[in-house]
Amino acid sequence: MTKPLVLLLGEIEHAHEEWASISEIADIIEPKARSREEFIKECKSGAFDNVVATYRTFQSVAITGLIDEELIALLPRSLKFIAHNGAGYDQIDVHACTAHGIRVSNVPTAVDDATADTNMFLILGALRGFNTSMIALRNGHWKGSPPPPLGHDPQGKVLGILGMGGIGRNLKKKAEAFGMTVQYYNRSKLSEELSGGAKYVGFDELLKTSDVLSLNLPLNKQTRHIISTKEFEQMKKGVVIVNTARGAVMDEAALVVALEKGQVWSCGLDVFEEEPKVHAGLIANPHVMLVPHMGTWTVETQTKMETWCIDNIRSAIEKGKLMSPVGEQKDI
Amino acid sequence: MGKPAVLLIGAITHVKKEWEECGAFAELKTFTGATRQEFLKACEDGSYSDVVAIYRSNESTSLTGPFDAELVSRLPSSMKYICHNGAGYDNIDVSACTSRNIQVAHTPQAVNAATADIAIFLMLGALRRIHVPYTAVRSSNWRGASPQLGYDPQQKVLGIVGMGGIGREVAARARAFGMSIQYFNRSKLSPELEKDAKYVSFEELLKSSDVISLNCSLTKETVGLVGKKEFALMKQGVVIVNTARGKLIDEQALVDALEEGKVFSAGLDVYEEEPKVNEGLLNNPNVVLLPHVGTSTWETQRNMELLVLENLESAVKKGLLVTQVPEQISKVKL
Repeated sequence: MTKPLVLLLGEIEHAHEEWASISEIADIIEPKARSREEFIKECKSGAFDNVVATYRTFQSVAITGLIDEELIALLPRSLKFIAHNGAGYDQIDVHACTAHGIRVSNVPTAVDDATADTNMFLILGALRGFNTSMIALRNGHWKGSPPPPLGHDPQGKVLGILGMGGIGRNLKKKAEAFGMTVQYYNRSKLSEELSGGAKYVGFDELLKTSDVLSLNLPLNKQTRHIISTKEFEQMKKGVVIVNTARGAVMDEAALVVALEKGQVWSCGLDVFEEEPKVHAGLIANPHVMLVPHMGTWTVETQTKMETWCIDNIRSAIEKGKLMSPVGEQKDI
Repeated sequence: MGKPAVLLIGAITHVKKEWEECGAFAELKTFTGATRQEFLKACEDGSYSDVVAIYRSNESTSLTGPFDAELVSRLPSSMKYICHNGAGYDNIDVSACTSRNIQVAHTPQAVNAATADIAIFLMLGALRRIHVPYTAVRSSNWRGASPQLGYDPQQKVLGIVGMGGIGREVAARARAFGMSIQYFNRSKLSPELEKDAKYVSFEELLKSSDVISLNCSLTKETVGLVGKKEFALMKQGVVIVNTARGKLIDEQALVDALEEGKVFSAGLDVYEEEPKVNEGLLNNPNVVLLPHVGTSTWETQRNMELLVLENLESAVKKGLLVTQVPEQISKVKL
């Protein structure tokens, strides 16, 4: 009997052995296409007929574009599973996948530590205001002139976590080691065991009473620009905001205005609305911490993520179901 | 004879009101000069003949020069207490003070959290080799030409050199990042203080740590503690963090070890000859550098100044210091 067909969209960079073991249970093909137009043509040509599952990376969007209704409608009927390598899967229209009988998995958990570490790095950098002195020193000016403003300690500050999933809960433990008190808003209140004693508050109260606000929620239709002008106006004056989730959960232009007004004292960002483009107002602001979407950029975590995603492919082929289906499809 | 006098050298920024309130128990004087000569002249022309205590800081060293044996010998005979703003006090010759029966206080504890926070920031930044992507995104180059992956702290071994107040705060934070802790200290700590940290020899720490954090004080014995010989013993790809004193490390040897690839990255807040920094560090894309801002927060600076005033008040009123330097407390050399 012929082995089932798996389509690889993107690169395997670390978990080569694990990927090689997939070839024992499946035949692997890759697209020749290097653009969405070419990919659509290749789909229509029947090149991917009989593909049962696809492993896709975040970067493969450069070839296929977003996995939206237009593209999904052109994928072969045989395709039943999309295993996405990444925690955030906003590149995929899950609703459209469900309508076409396609199951989607993402990579939770394996990303938690590295993302929370990056988040904590940004909280410290933004609270302490390290940017001006880091840059002054590298330019040979020691602390710079005028000397950098004093920063703030995390001790005793209230950290408000928006989205208490795996990453948010991981962040809580680290923030508490720095003496922060944690409160959270989530679609639903968590058990005491899961929340670890963090206070569950309403969205408005989270905005009004947090000294540091951390965005740790997924991007979807409901959460796009969930933080914008109206929300900045509700926050404590001098709030610090950190975002390691998705740029578009926050209105970047509104953030720049809030920073200029002093409503927001500083921010730490790993993600931006139109990566790799960064709002000029952020680049021009010496009091913010910016890093280029590197939340999970470690050897260990990238390897764990690839392995997790490969395990979803294996599960799809051997058991006919994904190991970690996305939340929206869990009950199907 | 009226109230004793206390002398302020340098600035008080956050507790001006509280300083004025010290006028209730002491006459407040301020050194208004800007050079060592002016200070020594004032010491010897009777201006400070009733001063029993001095408030000084690491920063005020730029006004008077270090409180070395020469300066200490020329302080007025009324002098009994030096209340120093700073956890590190290597710019004070403590044994010269002891010989003159001058007691010295510093500001431990108040600095612990802020210094440990910066140590973790530097460690995370170093593990990620953050400098290149950090500067690339700010110059609109996103991740830069050839972005590289960093490493996670989880499951790595953190070796802490100097398990005092700051070292233990670093350990507490590192545990939250899934690191296992080992330490070298002049003596093994009690179980309550060391918790699950393993006490090892200095050599063992060098050989088996993935990340090494220096948190010990600078003394005659610890100058150049980490040099060529020590780098040779370390693991390939080790990460070094220093928030203590620059002179603990032979800076050129560190540069060589970085260039060889022996040291993967370093996170530094202190340097051998501040504000001068070895060119080899400034030009190295793999290190994370901060200009000695370990305690530069509103809250910590205020707490440090308050602690100095506490020491002043206790000295004048009770003849005792609150946070005397350890060399003067214990008669037994550890």
